[in-house]
Amino acid sequence: MKPAAVPTVFIVDDDGGVRRAVQDLVESVGLRAECFATGQEFLDNGRTSDPSCLVLDVRLPQMSGLDFQRMLADVGIQIPIIFITAHGDIPMSVRALKSGAVEFLTKPFRNQDLLDAIQQALQRDRAAREQQDEVHELHGRYLTLTAREREVMALVVAGMLNKQIASEIGASEATVKIHRGNAMQKMQAGSLIELVRMADKLKPILRQ
Amino acid sequence: MAGDSPGNLEYMGVLGDLTERRRVDEERQALARNLEESNANLEEAQRVAHVGHWEWDLETHEVVWSDETFRIFGLEPQERPMDLAGVREMVHPDDRDSLYGGVDVDLSVGANPIAEFRIVRPNGEIRTVHAITSKRWSEPPLDSSGEPSERTRKLFGTIQDVTEHKRTEEERRALARDLQESNARLEQAQRLVHMGYYEWNLITGCVTWSDELYRIYGLSPQSGPIDMAMVSQMIHPDDRERVFREAEEAARGGVPATAEHRIVRPDGEVRTVQGLGTVKRDAAGRACEMFGTVQDITDRKRAEEALRRSQFYLSEGERLAHIGSWAFNDSGHYWSDELYKIYGLDPKNGAPTVEQYLALVHPQDRSALAESFKLMQEEHRGFDQIERIVRPDGQLRYLRAVAVPVVEQGVFKGFIGTTMDVTEQELLTQELRRERAYLAEAQSLTHTGSWVANFHTGRNYHVSDEIYRLHGFDPDKGPLPGDSFYKTIHPDDEPIVWEIINGAIHARTDFEIPQYRICRPDGTIRILRGIGHRNPSGEMGEFVGITMDITDRKRAEAERERLRQLEADLARVNRVNMMGELAAALAHEIKQPITASITSADALLRWLAHDPPDLDRARAAASRIEQDANRAANVIDSLRSFYKTGTPTERQITDVKELIEEMTGLLSSEADRYGITIHSELEADSPNILVNPVQLQQVFMNLMLNAIEAMKDAGGDLAIKSRVDPEGRLYVSISDTGIGLPAVSAERIFEPFHTTKPQGTGMGLTITRSIVEAYGGRVWATASQEGTGATFHFILPCGAVGQV
Repeated sequence: MKPAAVPTVFIVDDDGGVRRAVQDLVESVGLRAECFATGQEFLDNGRTSDPSCLVLDVRLPQMSGLDFQRMLADVGIQIPIIFITAHGDIPMSVRALKSGAVEFLTKPFRNQDLLDAIQQALQRDRAAREQQDEVHELHGRYLTLTAREREVMALVVAGMLNKQIASEIGASEATVKIHRGNAMQKMQAGSLIELVRMADKLKPILRQ
Repeated sequence: MAGDSPGNLEYMGVLGDLTERRRVDEERQALARNLEESNANLEEAQRVAHVGHWEWDLETHEVVWSDETFRIFGLEPQERPMDLAGVREMVHPDDRDSLYGGVDVDLSVGANPIAEFRIVRPNGEIRTVHAITSKRWSEPPLDSSGEPSERTRKLFGTIQDVTEHKRTEEERRALARDLQESNARLEQAQRLVHMGYYEWNLITGCVTWSDELYRIYGLSPQSGPIDMAMVSQMIHPDDRERVFREAEEAARGGVPATAEHRIVRPDGEVRTVQGLGTVKRDAAGRACEMFGTVQDITDRKRAEEALRRSQFYLSEGERLAHIGSWAFNDSGHYWSDELYKIYGLDPKNGAPTVEQYLALVHPQDRSALAESFKLMQEEHRGFDQIERIVRPDGQLRYLRAVAVPVVEQGVFKGFIGTTMDVTEQELLTQELRRERAYLAEAQSLTHTGSWVANFHTGRNYHVSDEIYRLHGFDPDKGPLPGDSFYKTIHPDDEPIVWEIINGAIHARTDFEIPQYRICRPDGTIRILRGIGHRNPSGEMGEFVGITMDITDRKRAEAERERLRQLEADLARVNRVNMMGELAAALAHEIKQPITASITSADALLRWLAHDPPDLDRARAAASRIEQDANRAANVIDSLRSFYKTGTPTERQITDVKELIEEMTGLLSSEADRYGITIHSELEADSPNILVNPVQLQQVFMNLMLNAIEAMKDAGGDLAIKSRVDPEGRLYVSISDTGIGLPAVSAERIFEPFHTTKPQGTGMGLTITRSIVEAYGGRVWATASQEGTGATFHFILPCGAVGQV
């Protein structure tokens, strides 16, 4: 893992005053802050590999914050979101939180609440990023497997015995044993249980 | 001749003496010859004179007849011996008794009986005879000694056949009677025709007048001799000279003279006479006498004058009345002059034939008229109808033609008739009919009926059909009793209705019943209004008036009042709603700078808490706090100005440009929220305007919010343009690129409750319009030219515009 970088807080609010005030607040606690007036601006410029979170105003020109949240999910951009709004209501907040928002704050909010939410969001982002890194690692290992080895691995994970696998793929039991050993080695799995967990983590990627 | 007979008889008596002297035979023989001759002569004389003689021996009752007597009695001479009974038998039975009785009486008194009686000949022929009986021998004649002689007592007589004589006498008498009668008749005729005659002897100058002529001249008949001087005197002085001149000319020329002239009667009366005279000439050709007639033609003249006058009146009357008359009978076809005029025909061509006549008739009426003619000919039926004709000059006329059959003593003689030009009347009638139809239509459309009635007597003089319908009756079912209409009045309203009417009757004024209810026969209640004007006739209780059904109007008024109330309520609600929305918008606007301020304040504290404190960042934060606080204050300011709308303010000079910018600012965040950009094109010289600014703000607010609403889902451009139009009015348009106008007429969107928004009241545009119109302006909507969106326009007139 890389050394911990300074996390970035992205702020999207159409009100310039609020934007600048929040940026200043974030920077005052030593975090990096980047401001955008619209969601599109953020999409165009606001990408980073460092841990980050998004402070998003609900009422935005062109596309509301909630719609923007859905759009990000649709294109596979995973970034924790903290909503701020001048006039939020309960249905709106429920919808935001159900869609995975970290927090839903109504203006004027307590700054500590915002900062806590930012920290929580960054933490979540960090964890997500670590998990994602592991999967990437496993995926890299998985890509080294031959087609036969991948086939045998899938059947092993499914709980079949060597003999059953041999009859399934039309090969000898000895051959199956060799493929199974290779797969375990390439995946760096110490035991059958470990291999099953790895396969489970890989499942979302393999399904795509 | 009858007178000669006794002489002969005397002579016979002498002969009787001679018979006794036989001494002189020769003498006696000569005498006998003479006697024979005399007898023969006598016989001949008797025969010629139809006189016979007879002898009746009173002793023996023998009767001796002469030959002629036999002939008179229709017998052959001496064909049989005669006796008294035989004679009596031959006397006409009716004359028998009087004959013999009369003879007896005459003989007893010693007279010579004369009798005229009828006999019946054996062949039945009746003859009248005249008999004279001599009494000489009824007593025995005395001889010379004075003793009665031996001679037989006899009656001697003659008998003459006077049948022819009688007849002639009768004829003569009849002629005389005829002459007399004819004279009387002439006299009568003269009297009747007032015509007399005169004879004027031109030689002696003597004048003879008939009775009637005297009367004509006013004199008593034959009251005195007449001469020409008198005649001349009696002729009207003005005519005198002319009459005589004409008479002279006639005498000279030998032609009958005719002269109509006047005479003056003794009592001064003037009469008109017609004289006609002819001149008689003697053998030498000299005019010797003038015979003439004079007729009093005064009455005829008067009658002629009267006839001429009445004919003149008739033709003049026909001319004035446009009536022509005609007659059609065996003697021909007569048309009066006026009739020719009516048909536009020339009298010279005579009356038209049936075919010519039909050709004149309007084609549409022709067959009906031909049918009438047929009935005239076949059934002798008259007619009375109106027909149209087209005159030769092309004029269309309406004629009323009446034909009446003439029947004298049960015999059909022909037709007489009149034809009247009724074009004007017909056109008037048609016009009247049309007017009536229009009036009825108007009454029906306006639910107004008319009437003329006497409330005092309860009599209706006129009730229009609409009155029937208003009261729920069917006018086609015939008239109703006068009180049928009053009976429908609602019992609760009856007292007031009659109070008003009776009041008007007694005060002799007009009346109006603003509203009263009636209950129609089908039970529905209607509200009527009645107006009555006193009839100009001045008759007590008589009014001319109208009755209107104001039920619908009353209901509409109630409905309108309800709507007006509702509109007022909703306008208030709308304003409250609008305030609510505005408040929410403003809350958002205020929260932003406040949030920014609080956040900046917190950041400031944090910069100060740094070690060492980052004063630059802290200062920057403080500066932002100031800015954001000011921003909040501005928002509050605009809010305050908007909230002033709660209380009506007077009109004041308002800068439209400033007002638009203010509204744009107010709604910009709302617009931003939906991705709407607002841009305005305001002419540099946008005028100051004298309005209630709050109301104008409301107008902008409504139209702009409307535009934003329309673009909510897709965003767009909101364009506000203002300028002064050529007429100096303020023109403003607010365009959007939104969903456009609903698929109903652009005008309906201004109606109350018309809304396309789920939460809309439908009152925004209504209020907008009422404000604009209150300033005498106009607001309307059009589809934007780009094809999507709508544009709202409004104009405020010059009156509300003023440059400062």
